[in-house]
Amino acid sequence: MRSKFLFVCGLLLTTMVLAVPVAAQDCTAESPCVLDALIGFTDHRLEWAKDRAVEFGEMFPQFEVVIHEFSDYEPLLDSYILAQEQGDPPAIMQLFEVGTQFAIDSGYFKPASEIIGDRTEVMGQAVDFDDIIPVVSSYYTIGGQWSSVAWNTSTPILYANQNILDMVGIEELPETWQGVEEACAQLQPLVDDGTITGCIVWPNHGWFYEQWLAQQNTELVNNGNGRDARPTQVLLSSEASINIVQWHQDMYQAGYYAYSGVQRDWPGTVQAFNAQQLPFIMTSSASAGGIMMNAADNDMEVRTGMMVYDADVGWTGNILGGATMWITDGLGEEIEDAAMAFLLFFSNTENSASWHQTSGYVPVRNSSVALLEEQGWYEANPNFLTASIQLGDSQVTIATQGAIFGTFVETRNIITQAIEDAMLLGGDVAAILAEAEEEANVLLEEYNLLYVDE
Amino acid sequence: MFVVSPLILLALAALVGGGGSAWLFRRAAGAETTIRLLPWSFLNERREDGLTAFGAALGGSAAIVGALIFLGPLNFCPFALDDDGQADSLNVLMGMILFVVGALLVHTLVMRLALRWLRKERLLGALETRPGLFRGPSAWLIATVFLAPTIGILGIFLYYPMFDTFLLSTKLARLGAPRTRFVCMRNFNQLLSDADYGRTVLVSFFLAVLIVLFSLSLSLLIAQMVYRPMKGGRIYRTLLVWPYALSPVIAGIVFQLLFHNTAGVLNHMIDTLFGFKIDWLLRPDIAPWTVVLASTWNIMGFCILFYIAGLQNVPQDLLEAAAIDGANAFQRFFRITFPLLSPITFFLVVTTTTYAFFDSYGLIDFLTAGGPVEATTTMMYEVFEVGVEARNLGSAAARSLLLFTVVIGVTIMQFRFSQGRVTYGN
Repeated sequence: MRSKFLFVCGLLLTTMVLAVPVAAQDCTAESPCVLDALIGFTDHRLEWAKDRAVEFGEMFPQFEVVIHEFSDYEPLLDSYILAQEQGDPPAIMQLFEVGTQFAIDSGYFKPASEIIGDRTEVMGQAVDFDDIIPVVSSYYTIGGQWSSVAWNTSTPILYANQNILDMVGIEELPETWQGVEEACAQLQPLVDDGTITGCIVWPNHGWFYEQWLAQQNTELVNNGNGRDARPTQVLLSSEASINIVQWHQDMYQAGYYAYSGVQRDWPGTVQAFNAQQLPFIMTSSASAGGIMMNAADNDMEVRTGMMVYDADVGWTGNILGGATMWITDGLGEEIEDAAMAFLLFFSNTENSASWHQTSGYVPVRNSSVALLEEQGWYEANPNFLTASIQLGDSQVTIATQGAIFGTFVETRNIITQAIEDAMLLGGDVAAILAEAEEEANVLLEEYNLLYVDE
Repeated sequence: MFVVSPLILLALAALVGGGGSAWLFRRAAGAETTIRLLPWSFLNERREDGLTAFGAALGGSAAIVGALIFLGPLNFCPFALDDDGQADSLNVLMGMILFVVGALLVHTLVMRLALRWLRKERLLGALETRPGLFRGPSAWLIATVFLAPTIGILGIFLYYPMFDTFLLSTKLARLGAPRTRFVCMRNFNQLLSDADYGRTVLVSFFLAVLIVLFSLSLSLLIAQMVYRPMKGGRIYRTLLVWPYALSPVIAGIVFQLLFHNTAGVLNHMIDTLFGFKIDWLLRPDIAPWTVVLASTWNIMGFCILFYIAGLQNVPQDLLEAAAIDGANAFQRFFRITFPLLSPITFFLVVTTTTYAFFDSYGLIDFLTAGGPVEATTTMMYEVFEVGVEARNLGSAAARSLLLFTVVIGVTIMQFRFSQGRVTYGN
């Protein structure tokens, strides 16, 4: 018994003695320093990221980037917060765009500009942020600083099944709300005889509402959409806001919008389009890969167009969606530089282009778009260009830069619910939005109470 | 400062608790037949008066401690007046509930222990002998040692987290936030004054009742048909249990594919055969039934398994005797089989109720996401939405405590209702 006790004590002591030099050791090819990176994909996009990590390891054998996958952005963020609270945070995390305010408030991260300083390259990886397309750079530039490194960026676009449109002789894709209504009226006989189940669908998700708000050049929260100062009010009662929800209600009541009854129904809506139940779908440009693959398998001619807008108000631009990569504060200079070098490599011209081809996400660099054009990619796959044109043509205004506030995720859900109520229960849209606004403001007030020093 | 002074409340607790215990002890002492000499002379000389005084003191103290267990950590905040000198009536009501519940809990516990101790010391009636009771001078010690691991584990993993949840429910708290803020009963008040939350409670009950009713009755029907020995019976019975092997999440995904409005398999079939469609997930009056259908399918395998085992243990001679006496199949089932299955039915009622309240949220998340128009948002689903997705820990803690109260209430009612109706054969 006693010898066992001594053995265990000896083992513990040896571990402690061995552990100390490892922690203080420099990173070498023999014992590389590990950089943990959390990302929110589990499919072929994960494999793409893992391949890049391996390539980085070959270039810099003293570092090993270990990619950890998560099913979604939310559990990823939860895991990161818990890791921080336990004092062992990973070096890199992927954070969705609506989490930006949280990232700033938490103080967990070091802004990219601060890590880079005035260097033009980090460990041989070129910085060149001027190459990033303006809509992307403006979203992630906060207080004049680059907060994080852009990676997966998307925007909603319109997909159309030309085979169905040919049945009623529609050749031009609609560009406006009014154009959609006209097309739907033309397609109604096909709905009546059961050939298709509806005219158009998009997931009922606050993201689309935010896009339409930006198109109308209207802000979602006060204080310069949350960019001048911490916002204190969510603005759901604006004319533009009422306009959007009213259109949802009109489209649903006219029988044109084929709502599945499930909120945030990303897979169901795409499934309905792929099954040729509907001629139109508006969904993320990141779905282009899957939709085009299905179209090729089923002899469907699919065309894409920009997200439709209200012709009575006009189009200012769209906001991006997606996520960027953030670097944890307090890693130490060597690891911090390695993390930054990895992210610069991860999103360089070639990798950004290859990422677009793999996933359908928008290439975030102008040079990547040029490279893809040179390779003839867009000529062969014109539908992959639509999203880039949409974001490229967008004017950068406070509204199209996108809102930044702490309760973005919850507010999205409140908006989604309000839209559902307006469609399924009917009633006065302004009243529904006024109630939603009150609910969203209570949450924002509570959030600010926890984050603002008195 | 306070709408009711904490001292008045504690005095009230002492008065009611002490008075109640005094009456209880006096009544118990009246039934006493034997007196044993003990060092406490006042108890020996005027036993009844002594016991009454002892009861009053003990009951009063217990009620005071009880009143303090919830309100103490809160510093009696529900009764505090705001800056305008106004009291929030909902706050006061919540405070009174905490006051009464805390006092009752501790008072009942202390009284039970005290009466037991007095009986053991032969100061009151005789201690009823129960099997398994520790005896001897160090009985307490031995019992404590044996119980310590269980109490320790329950304390660390159940009671402490529960108390912590209670404290969390009185705060504004978010995962990852640098601070929390004490808000007293605000989280509860928001819920209790919210009509939507009232509807969520109703939806939870509606779904729970229907899921329990359908899953039990259909399982019993199917079990009754398949429990007898037959060719290939084992394979068939295994297949019947199959759905239970799927987690509620998978069941939710499967049923979403079946019931989806535009791309669903079922609507395609109905449309092809009969030329119409059913808005399974779109209409607020149909969607809850879709959830009931999917949940019933998911949990039925579990119920069938238990009913088959139960039916195979029903004595055949009883059924034969009844048949010979002229009882028809229905009479045999309702007079013999069903009563003999009552322990299983009771067990299944409790487990399926728990499933309906707690486990069904995974299925709901993937099938309807709580919609349409929150028609399938249950209390548990809201805890998940608010606490996990929105990271609003304070409000989620308040919701989970309300859910806990409701489920405890339902379970107590089930136990009460089943007393005398469940026979275990002895």
